[in-house]
Amino acid sequence: MFHKLLIANRGEIALRIIRSCRELGIRTVVAHSRADRHTLPVMLADEAICIGPDDPRASYLNIPAIISAAEVTEAEAIHPGYGFLAENPAFADICRSCTILFIGPSAEAIRLMGDKAQARQIVQQAGVPVVPGSEQPLKDGDEVLEVADRIGYPVIFKAAAGGGGRGMRIVRERASAASAFAACQSEAAAAFGSSEIYCEKFIEIARHVEVQVLGDRHGSRVHLGERDCTVQRRHQKLLEESPAPRLSAETRAGLYRAALAAAATVNYVSAGTVEFLVDPSGHFYFIEMNTRIQVEHPVTEMLTGIDLVREQIRIAAGESLGYGQADVRSAGHVIECRINAEDPVTFTPSAGRVTAWIPPGGFGVRVDSHLMAPYAVPPFYDSLLAKIIVQGHDRATAIDRMRRALTETVVEGVKTTVPFHQKLLGDPAFVEGRFTSADAARLQG
Amino acid sequence: MRRRRGGAGNDPADLARRLGTLLTELQLSEIEASVGDVRVRLHRASTSGTLAPTHAPVPVASPAPAAAEPTVGAITIEAPMVGTFYRAASPGAEPYVREGDVVKQGQILCIIEAMKLMNEIESKVGGRIQKILVENGQAVEFGQPLFLLER
Repeated sequence: MFHKLLIANRGEIALRIIRSCRELGIRTVVAHSRADRHTLPVMLADEAICIGPDDPRASYLNIPAIISAAEVTEAEAIHPGYGFLAENPAFADICRSCTILFIGPSAEAIRLMGDKAQARQIVQQAGVPVVPGSEQPLKDGDEVLEVADRIGYPVIFKAAAGGGGRGMRIVRERASAASAFAACQSEAAAAFGSSEIYCEKFIEIARHVEVQVLGDRHGSRVHLGERDCTVQRRHQKLLEESPAPRLSAETRAGLYRAALAAAATVNYVSAGTVEFLVDPSGHFYFIEMNTRIQVEHPVTEMLTGIDLVREQIRIAAGESLGYGQADVRSAGHVIECRINAEDPVTFTPSAGRVTAWIPPGGFGVRVDSHLMAPYAVPPFYDSLLAKIIVQGHDRATAIDRMRRALTETVVEGVKTTVPFHQKLLGDPAFVEGRFTSADAARLQG
Repeated sequence: MRRRRGGAGNDPADLARRLGTLLTELQLSEIEASVGDVRVRLHRASTSGTLAPTHAPVPVASPAPAAAEPTVGAITIEAPMVGTFYRAASPGAEPYVREGDVVKQGQILCIIEAMKLMNEIESKVGGRIQKILVENGQAVEFGQPLFLLER
């Protein structure tokens, strides 16, 4: 095991990584922007180093600055967290060439799964079902119409280099297909530097279910169950839970097999997530694989008792998992609510100054947060303030516990998603486990 | 940059930096603190907003034409990047500048090595080097004060 790790991230995930490192006896360096210099991760890390100004392009996305920070602090490994450089294959390559351990999968796996069209082809060859759609990026308006007519409306356009809900557009009728394609192309070019777009059938009533996988360098690979992430708005997840409600044993087993098959196509090492759409008849389709730790990873940790960040670090250091599929157990039901600094009605970010923060606590409650009071929510980064995760012996208990936890939660000074979650937890479709993407559409701001 | 162990808690430059941060954040005009036998007092220069230690020549109301010259005070040259600070082009060579030297705008003050690249750091203004705040070979972070310059 190595001795010092640099965290190239901020906020709650930086803190999350510090915690696992401390338990492993690894010293931590937080590389931070100027705006983040008085934050909890900077205070709690063994060392902190400012790598650039507020703008993330000059700090958290600044590869030379991060590598240089690792070199001057003599950190042997870099954990990228999620977002920023976590799924940048060039960054993983540069780490390797500088003999710095990148905590994550190989650059090759990141590259292959990062190209959505290519990922789709690769997993399809391994027998994993994919949503009907174009096999290649679409060339022009004529091809768009030809493909959309073949698979049937509604269709969804997706940027090959997109992700996290960005670079997507739903088209319901032939008349608007060509113009939507053109708009999607220029958006993708601006946002991702690639205008490659592909087209899929849009599955209107679906659930979004993902499977957590974990693989070591010695050929062992296990899944750690699924997470239902159907509750989204503008393709951004707000609440996740596990196990996914009302899933048949057959569908569940099929999802696990498919996730492991998808991971095997790229010899996946480290923690990763394979995302699927599940339709009302229980058919499922691969969407993408996320080659990083995810925001909602604590759901799986609470359910299985496995510390995913610790496992990522152990795996990167060359250790073997040390357990097989039969050893992975899960207990009860877990729900996570994301508390974002944003208006609960319009969903616009609400930057400002947090003047009071009282996190919930008590039996079965975990809070991952970098909040403290006072704290100025900087306008430069994402709006996630806290994740509240609860475990109950069954789903009904977990829902009651989350309602209780949200009642205790106090965030003053900025608007948050707490009222949204309180409303959602009283929504009959959610409470009965019948929530689908159609319900999620009702929640759009 | 903060190191939990072996930190330079009594280093005047370090203390001045921390006080400088507080001064800006709390929007004070003056701040003073002592740690051990080190005592530092900072006050905010009235026009430029840069920090000037009190032992610098404090701008006094000059009878000379006030509008022509900006207020005199210490200017801080900060590290524009993370890396290793070197005072000379190579290990045996003469340092680029010494305390007391007068430098021109654009003159090279030091090198910061980042990812094996030697980046020459130029002075953004002309003036006299009042103080060199970091040691040769020391790691510096983005925004870390390196030199104090008198205009």
